[in-house]
Amino acid sequence: MTWHPQMTWHLPAGLAAQYARGETAVALTLSIEAHLMKCRPCREAVPYEMGWIEQSWAGIEDLIDRPRRGVAERVLTMVGVPGHVARLLVATPTLSRAWMAAVTVVLAFAVAAARLTEGIGESAQAGAVLPFLVAAPLLPVAGVALAYGRWADPVHESLAATPLAGVPLLLLRAGAALATAVALTGVATALFPASLGLTAAWLLPSLALTAGTLALSTWLPSVAAAALLGGAWVSALLLLNGQSLVFGPLAQILYGLAAPALALLAVFRHRRSEGYR
Amino acid sequence: MTITVRALTKRYARATVLDAVDLDLAPGITGVLGPNGAGKTTLLRCLATTLAPDSGRIRAFGLDPADPAQRTAYRRRLGYLAQNPGAYPHFTAFEMVEYIAILKEMTDQVARRREVRRVLAEVDLGDRSRTKVRKLSGGMRQRLALAQALLGAPDLVVLDEPTVGLDPEQRMRFRALLSRLGAERTVLLSTHQTEDVAALCERVVVMRAGGVAFQGTPADLAAFADGQVWLSAVPPSSVLSWRTADGRHRSLGPRPDGGEAAEPTIEDGYLLLLGDRAAVA
Repeated sequence: MTWHPQMTWHLPAGLAAQYARGETAVALTLSIEAHLMKCRPCREAVPYEMGWIEQSWAGIEDLIDRPRRGVAERVLTMVGVPGHVARLLVATPTLSRAWMAAVTVVLAFAVAAARLTEGIGESAQAGAVLPFLVAAPLLPVAGVALAYGRWADPVHESLAATPLAGVPLLLLRAGAALATAVALTGVATALFPASLGLTAAWLLPSLALTAGTLALSTWLPSVAAAALLGGAWVSALLLLNGQSLVFGPLAQILYGLAAPALALLAVFRHRRSEGYR
Repeated sequence: MTITVRALTKRYARATVLDAVDLDLAPGITGVLGPNGAGKTTLLRCLATTLAPDSGRIRAFGLDPADPAQRTAYRRRLGYLAQNPGAYPHFTAFEMVEYIAILKEMTDQVARRREVRRVLAEVDLGDRSRTKVRKLSGGMRQRLALAQALLGAPDLVVLDEPTVGLDPEQRMRFRALLSRLGAERTVLLSTHQTEDVAALCERVVVMRAGGVAFQGTPADLAAFADGQVWLSAVPPSSVLSWRTADGRHRSLGPRPDGGEAAEPTIEDGYLLLLGDRAAVA
């Protein structure tokens, strides 16, 4: 901005006050502002309201610094999730592109295998569904195990000293990981050629195993808890040699009862836990 | 006292990392000195509630952080700079600090962003707010972590080696910032730099093998070396000796041949207190 000392005219006091109140017409305002850019005495003579200027400046600063929200964050706020919660959710380590890509690849392979066996025969098709049913409950378990903790989050040591650390953040991130894994697996389920009843049999085991991981992680590191339960899940399927017992109606009822019970146990144990998280 | 620590103990397998530590902290800056493995970081992590002690207790502002019901209230009054604070590299500096601000329950968006701008300006990163963390230098990342610790004007500020990675000018600015903080709050500062302690701290704690070897003022620590600091022309046999810029040898301990008494510093007191441990640290 340059001050031209040879300025031949200056703003009359009345016009300056009118301008400061925002009462001048657009064309006149533009003309005044062009003059103010070059004339320091007139700039200093305009009776600005300091409060208004500070507020406006703070608003401009806020606009400049406002972080650019990603697609996921914008979608979350559009569906009513408060902005600060959406921010916390999208920074969940599990929801990184690498993890999402890994889950998508696993599910894509499972769907492709089932599609390739389509028409070969019922037993072949059931055989193709089984790996999917085994793997699907493990996806949210892995996601939850990697959602929170010093082994998964580079910022854990800093965030562990904040008021929202521990149960609130753990549950928030576990919920985000579970919802994402269930949504992606749900999409894969719809693409399977087999009946929905059979291919959706992963859902209740997923919920039970995830809640079990959360509960067990009050005794063990969550990665160890997930490995233990995941191992038990795969072992049970191998030992029982088939899907009827593990995915049958009786087993589904048991998973349905176990999931909320284990979730309650997890919340209770985490709240009482003396170990800092 | 604002904060009292009593019989704080932490063990890992067979090693006792903190051994029945007693400590009293008042408003102002307290420096924690000690060689590697002395238990400084473990003590600070216990105070920051990121590590649970095996036994002993901490009381701060009438709160017991070991009680889950009181821990959140304690954390609301805490600012913590970890030894390895970490960062999300894809976040901008502003986003990184804002993320911690959200975890500190700053839910009002306008007030939160104003506070983020304030702390970024405090650490001289106001013009880097839109830079991705992965593009910041080591010193800038350290200042970014410090900004997170300052959010919300906490009553207790726990800083684990905050001057690591800072150049001399930044360290001077950091000292100015810290001395302002120390005027109103309780600051616990772990460091290897005795000159930081001399410049900033009202009190100093020296840790050795998981215990408190010394607790007092920096002047008391320097006085520990009274009559044991010497300058001599020939190299003395003492382990704790070194050649100074003027070609003479400074040594600690018994008077060497031809030794002249020298004014003791905090570093002299610290080295004498730790003996051989300091020589190998």
